[in-house]
Amino acid sequence: MRTIPSDEVTVVLHVNGRARQLQLDSRVTLLDALRDHLDLVGTKKGCDQGACGACTVLLDGKRVLSCLRLAAQCDGREVMTIEGLARDGRLHPLQEAFIRHDGFQCGYCTPGQIMSAVALLEEGRATSDEEIREFMSGNLCRCGAYPNIAAAIREVAALRRK
Amino acid sequence: MRALSAPTVLGEPIDRVDGPLKVTGAAPYPSDIAYPDLVHAVLVQSTIGAGTMTAIHAEAAEAASGVLAVITYQNAPALAPAPMTGLGPSLPLPFRDNRVFHHGQHVAIVVAQTQEQAVAAARLLEIDYVQEAAVLGLDNPRAEVLHNPWQADLRRGDPAAALASAEVVVDETYTIAAETNNPLGLFATVASWEGDRLTVHDSTQWPVMERQTLATVFDIPESAVRVLSPYLGGGFGAGLRVYPHVILTALAARVVGRPVKLVLARPQMFTSVGHRPETQQRMKLGALQDGRLVAIDHGCTSALGIEGTNFGRVTVVTPPSYDCPNVATHDHQVRLNIPNPGYMRGPGKTEGNFALESALDELSYKLRIDPIELRLRNFAHVHPQSGLPWSSNALQECYRVGAERFGWSKRSPEIGSMREGHWLIGYGMAGVTFELYQPPCEVRVSIHRDGSAYVRSAATDIGTGTYTIAAQLAAELLGLEVGQVHVEIGDSDLPTAPQSGGSGLATSLGGAIVDAAGNLLRAFLKTVADDDRSPLQGMTAEGVAVTNGRIAAIEDSSVGETYFDILERHKLDELSAGGEYNPSAGAPGIAGPAAFAARFAEVHIDPELGLLRIARFVTVVDGGRILNAKTARSQIIGATVMGIGMTLLEETVIDSATGRIANATFGDYLIPVNADVPVLDVVFVGKPDELSPVGSKGLGEIGTVGVSAAIANAVYHATGRRIRTLPITIDKLL
Repeated sequence: MRTIPSDEVTVVLHVNGRARQLQLDSRVTLLDALRDHLDLVGTKKGCDQGACGACTVLLDGKRVLSCLRLAAQCDGREVMTIEGLARDGRLHPLQEAFIRHDGFQCGYCTPGQIMSAVALLEEGRATSDEEIREFMSGNLCRCGAYPNIAAAIREVAALRRK
Repeated sequence: MRALSAPTVLGEPIDRVDGPLKVTGAAPYPSDIAYPDLVHAVLVQSTIGAGTMTAIHAEAAEAASGVLAVITYQNAPALAPAPMTGLGPSLPLPFRDNRVFHHGQHVAIVVAQTQEQAVAAARLLEIDYVQEAAVLGLDNPRAEVLHNPWQADLRRGDPAAALASAEVVVDETYTIAAETNNPLGLFATVASWEGDRLTVHDSTQWPVMERQTLATVFDIPESAVRVLSPYLGGGFGAGLRVYPHVILTALAARVVGRPVKLVLARPQMFTSVGHRPETQQRMKLGALQDGRLVAIDHGCTSALGIEGTNFGRVTVVTPPSYDCPNVATHDHQVRLNIPNPGYMRGPGKTEGNFALESALDELSYKLRIDPIELRLRNFAHVHPQSGLPWSSNALQECYRVGAERFGWSKRSPEIGSMREGHWLIGYGMAGVTFELYQPPCEVRVSIHRDGSAYVRSAATDIGTGTYTIAAQLAAELLGLEVGQVHVEIGDSDLPTAPQSGGSGLATSLGGAIVDAAGNLLRAFLKTVADDDRSPLQGMTAEGVAVTNGRIAAIEDSSVGETYFDILERHKLDELSAGGEYNPSAGAPGIAGPAAFAARFAEVHIDPELGLLRIARFVTVVDGGRILNAKTARSQIIGATVMGIGMTLLEETVIDSATGRIANATFGDYLIPVNADVPVLDVVFVGKPDELSPVGSKGLGEIGTVGVSAAIANAVYHATGRRIRTLPITIDKLL
C-alpha cells in the first residue's frame, strides 16, 4: 500500500503587512493557504495549473501565480492580495478605474487582473495599448471584458505619468 | 401610474452597483463559502470511454489520512428519480450502477478533512474496468441517431420543388467543433444538512430549478431546500442544469453528516457541466438572379451523450430570418460516448447563424450582389413564418448604421483586391435575427422608513448586470436614487424567478418590477385612502407621480407627501408589494420579440504564414430599450470575444479512439486573451419593444451570434478561401 506524505510545516507569511504564522500540510499552495487558512478568499482559483491568472498576488512586490507556489516556499516573504490594496477604506486608483470602465462582468478574474495591473504599472510596462494588452495576457477573462480592462489600466497609467 | 425620478436613471451608463464588492475581492462566490466543520470532496472520474466497472478497490483510499468517506455506486444511498424541469428532463442521476458512458464520468466522490487529503486519497482509488469500443464521431454508423428530437422540424411552402427550380443554388456543409464554456469560476458546491433541511451554495444560473431538483431526488419538500447563488464566476449556460456533481456533494454531506465543499478542477469543467456540441450543418439556398430567396433547406446533426438530453435546436435560426416562401428545417442528434453537451451562450442559434450567414455570403458572390444588398432584398418585413408584424425590428437600421460606421463603401468587392503591404485585407459581414425566450418572473419590492428600497427575487447575476439594472429600474419607477435601492437575488427562498439564460431574465424581471412598483404605489395610496391628514387621500395611482421619494399629484405637484411621511404617521417599518410578469400570455397578432444585429469584421491575413488578425469589429444591435448603456455594451463586447474564440481558437478535442478530452486545460484549450481582442465598436439602435413593459429585448447572447460568419466571410473576401469548418486555424489558411 502506498503511503501519503503528510508532513506539516510551520510557515510565516507577511500578508498585507501582517505576519501570520501557520501550521500547514506541506502540500498546501500559497493560494490555498490564503483562501483556506487565512480566510482571504478574494484571491481566486480558476485553474490551479498556472494558466489563467485568477490567483495572481504580489510576492515581494512581483506578480506571481499563487497556485504554482507552495506556501512553504513563501516563508518569511511579503504577500499582497486584493484585500490589502485599498487603504483606509479608499480604493486603489486601479480598483476605481475598473469600476468606472466596467472592467469586469462576473468579477471572478478581477482580483487577479487588478493585482496583475498593479505590478504592470510598477514594471513600467503600460506605456501603450499594445503593451498593456500583451502584458495583461496572462490573465484570462471569459466574460471578455478585455477592452475595458485595458481602458482602465491605460487611464491609471496616464495619470501616473503626469 | 407614472413615476419619474430626476434625472432619469434607466438606461444611463451607471457603474455596476456590485462593482466595489468585486474589485475588493469581497463578493462571495460559492467556492468562498466556509463552515466551521467544513470538509472537502474530490471527484474520481472514469478513465475509459465506454464499458463497465468490475471492481472498485477503495481500501487504500478509505484508510488514507483524513478520509471520511469514499462513495461509489456500490455504497451510495439511493436517490429518487429526478424531475422534469423547465428545460426538459433532468440529467440521468449519478452512481446508479457500474456502467460507464463517457471518459471522465464521475465514478466516486472522496471526502476528507482537507482538500489536500481528499486529492491524495482520490489518487489511491483503483477501479477495474471492462472496456468496450467507444462510439465516437458524428458519422459513426454504430451511433444511435435521433431524428427530429424535439418534434420541432418545420416546413413552409415546398422547399424541394423551389430548390429544383431555383436559378442559383448554394448547397454546402458547415461544421463547428465542440467547445467548452469554461467560465473562469470553477464550479463549486457547498452542501450542508440540518436534519432534513438542505442548504446549497452553488454555481447555478437557476436557483429555483435547482431547489426543485434537489428536493425531488432527496425526497424532501422544496421548502426544506435553500439554494444560494448571489455571485458566480460566469456560467455562459453551464449553470442551467443540475449536473451530477451538485447532487453528489449534497449526497456526500448527508453521508458524512458535515458540510461538504466540492470545487471542480479545471479539467473536470470540460466533462462535468456540458459544452457546445460538435455540429454538422447542410445548408441549401435557392435564389433567383435578382437575389430573392426562393428556398432554404437547413439540416443539422449535433452530438449528444449516450443517455442524456440536450435541448439545442440549431436550425431554429432559419425560419424567422428571411422573407423566403419555402423553408424546411431538420435537426438530428447522434448519441456518442461523450460528456453530455449542454448550453453555451446562444446555443444552437450561434451555430445555425454561421451556416446561414456563410451560405448567404456564398450566394452574394455567385450573384455578384453586395452582401448587405442581398440581405435587404430578402428582409422580412413581417415575421416570415407567422405573417404577423414584428413587435419591433430595426434590422435594416442595423445594416445601414453598421455599414456607415464600418466604412463598408470602401470595400472593393473583388476577392483579394485589398492589401496593406503583404497583408491581405478582407471585409465581411453577417446579419442576426435572434428570437427571444422570456419566462415568467416574480419579485417583491419594499420601501422602508429609512428611505431604502429592496428588490428581492430568486434571479441571478452571472456578470450580466442584473443587480444594476434592477436597481436602476426600481429607482426610476419608485422615484428614488439608485443608491437607495438594495437588490437581493441569488436565493431560492426569494420570489420565483427564471434562469439567467436565453437572454430573457432582464426583460422578465423588469416586467415583474414594473408590476410590483405599481402595486407598491397603490399600497401607499391605499394606506392613506382614509387618512384625513394625507394630502394624497383618495388619489389613484394614475393621478400621481413620484419624485425623490415623494408622491405628488400630477395636476399639482405641491400636493403630496413622502414615503417616509406615510410610513411614519402609520407607524409602519415598511410597505411591500409583489409583482409578476408572464410574457407567455403573449400578444395576439404580434410576432416577437426578437433582437437583431449586424456584424462587420475586418481581417488581415498574412498569406505566407496563414496568420489571421482581426483588425476591428463593428456591431450594431437592436435590443429594444437599453437598460444600462455601460453594462449593455459590456454584454456585447464580451460575447463578441467569445465569438472570436469560437471562430479562431476554440475546439474541445475528443480523442477519436478513447473519448478522452485531449486538451482539457487552459494551457491547451485556448480562449482569447487580451492581446487577441481588437477594437470592438458597439452601437445600439431601435426603439423600446412594445411587448415588454420595460421595452427591453434581451442582450445576453446575441453578441456571440454572427461573429463567426462575419469573420469567415471576411476571410473569403481577403483570400478566396471559403472556410466552412470552425475554428479557422492557421492550417486552413495555408
